Amino acid sequence: MDFLYKNIYYIGAFGLIFIGLYMVAAKKNLIKIIIGLGFIDTGINLFLIMIGYIKNGTAPIFTKAGIDSAQMVDPVPQALVLTAIVINVAILALALGLAIKLYEHYKTLDVSKIRGLKW
Amino acid sequence: MVMNPVFLIVVPLGLAFFTPIIGLLSKKFTKYVPVIAMLFNLILSISFLPKVIDNPIVVTLAGWKPPFCINLFVGPVGIIFSILISLIGFLVAIYGINYIKTPESQGSSKQEKYHILYLLLLTGATGIVLTGDIFNLFVFFEILCISSYVLVAYNQDKNGIEAATKYLIQGSVGSAFILIGIGFLYGLFGTLNMADIAQKIGDVNSPTLFIAMALFITGFGIESAMFPLNAWLPDAHSSAPSSISAILSGIAIHIGIYAIFRILYTLFGVNSVFTFLAIMGIITLLIGEMSAFKQENIKRVLAYSSMGQIGLIIFALSIGTVNGVSAGLFQIVTHTISKALLFLCVGYMIYYTKSMELSSLKGLGKRMPLTSFLFTIGAFSLIGLPPFIGFPSKLSIIFAGLKTSDPLFLILIILLLCATVIEGAYFFKIIQLLYFKKSEKKDHIKPPFTLFLPAIILAILIIFIGLYPGFISSILNKSAAEFVDKFFYIKTVFGV
Repeated sequence: MDFLYKNIYYIGAFGLIFIGLYMVAAKKNLIKIIIGLGFIDTGINLFLIMIGYIKNGTAPIFTKAGIDSAQMVDPVPQALVLTAIVINVAILALALGLAIKLYEHYKTLDVSKIRGLKW
Repeated sequence: MVMNPVFLIVVPLGLAFFTPIIGLLSKKFTKYVPVIAMLFNLILSISFLPKVIDNPIVVTLAGWKPPFCINLFVGPVGIIFSILISLIGFLVAIYGINYIKTPESQGSSKQEKYHILYLLLLTGATGIVLTGDIFNLFVFFEILCISSYVLVAYNQDKNGIEAATKYLIQGSVGSAFILIGIGFLYGLFGTLNMADIAQKIGDVNSPTLFIAMALFITGFGIESAMFPLNAWLPDAHSSAPSSISAILSGIAIHIGIYAIFRILYTLFGVNSVFTFLAIMGIITLLIGEMSAFKQENIKRVLAYSSMGQIGLIIFALSIGTVNGVSAGLFQIVTHTISKALLFLCVGYMIYYTKSMELSSLKGLGKRMPLTSFLFTIGAFSLIGLPPFIGFPSKLSIIFAGLKTSDPLFLILIILLLCATVIEGAYFFKIIQLLYFKKSEKKDHIKPPFTLFLPAIILAILIIFIGLYPGFISSILNKSAAEFVDKFFYIKTVFGV
């Protein structure tokens, strides 16, 4: 139980990543696959935040005297997450755009039926 | 005037976003923007070459010292890749002036999109080879990937959209792996600077490091189409417009290989994973060449052949010696130039015959003599016939492998030679179709000047370097020494 309590955030993050990977690998519906990509991204963002997180920590700004710098949350992972979110939005938007075009061509979103090329 | 290497990234990136504004002023001028940007990059990279060959330049941004800033590491390897990227980018941009047509569904004058994305793709590639920060590498990698997803679908036809969707799904899973790997490294070392990680990595011995390495190899392996992560490659390379196929085959997949080996050599150091990679390389080579042999579609043949060449390069780079790395870099140069030439020629063959089937190439040697001749030069070069560039590069790979005197490498080299025979077989089949089969049509087709200018420059380079391999091999040897030497990298970045 102690292990679970200490690592609950990591377990959550990797749980999300694995759910996403499962969806990408096993689902037939293109929209569900794209949602799976979203899951992976969310899991990664949570994981990155966790690396720099300190319980009851403060923002890394010296606003008043007497703040211990060891109690400050690492800002770098948060900057990484900000960048990663922007990239993920671009990828998901592009994926949905392609899904619309694919639907126009094939009239289906079932990837097992979209076989113009060899899948 | 002293130029800063950061312009190699800034100028194409800036011009990419200026393209729509230029398009407002003059619709016709936008297609010359990539040509200008890449010509600038080419001249600038070549002017840096003599300087960086002994003393790599470290550019620190925003006034902080490493490891606190994002730094660029402009070493010989980076500059060689940068020259290759800008050379191929420049020539393919010339080719694109006439070749790129607006998709019918989009109405008129939307070509700007192509040129913006094209410049972004090349910016991403240049950024990856020059950066010294691992998260920065990821960001440039995403720029490269996202613009190539879109460009594969540029024609908006059935196949293009489908191939792009596949490429996007697999590629973004790959990027996710890379990001998890970066997260692990940051968690262990608290830094993103590659030199800083390389310095601290010796102190840590944790299974997490191995997981991070595996994640990096998988993630970049998807982009570089290493077997068994190659499912997207034949579709994407064959469905994209030919100019983009040339860029994807010539540059994008090599960038993935560069990233894998930069991370392995600089961050993790030489270790047992190289044996695994050498075996995977040969498997990739064999599967690629065998699949290419049975294809009926000319662009799929070339796409599978790219996959085979990637296997060859991975094998050469994972020999792990300076000789091996030098041979691998040489093979990258060979493959970039030859495959770009092949795709450029095939682009216009498909354009005029309106078919990608191999059978439609019958008798083209009479109808398009110069194009077929240039195609033949590229094909011979890839097979490795003298006096073309493929011969010295393949020979140096075999020598580097034999020098290790490891029985495993001996077996792998025998397999490599078998693969070369298969490669020769399908290229000769195509050349036979071009020259020794009669076609019903007797007309002469005259492709535009914008095909011949880049293709002839590439063909001249193929023959020139093939005759005088010493012209680049000394540069490649020095680059290889820099690529393998992790301590030199750390020392240069920290300026000790």
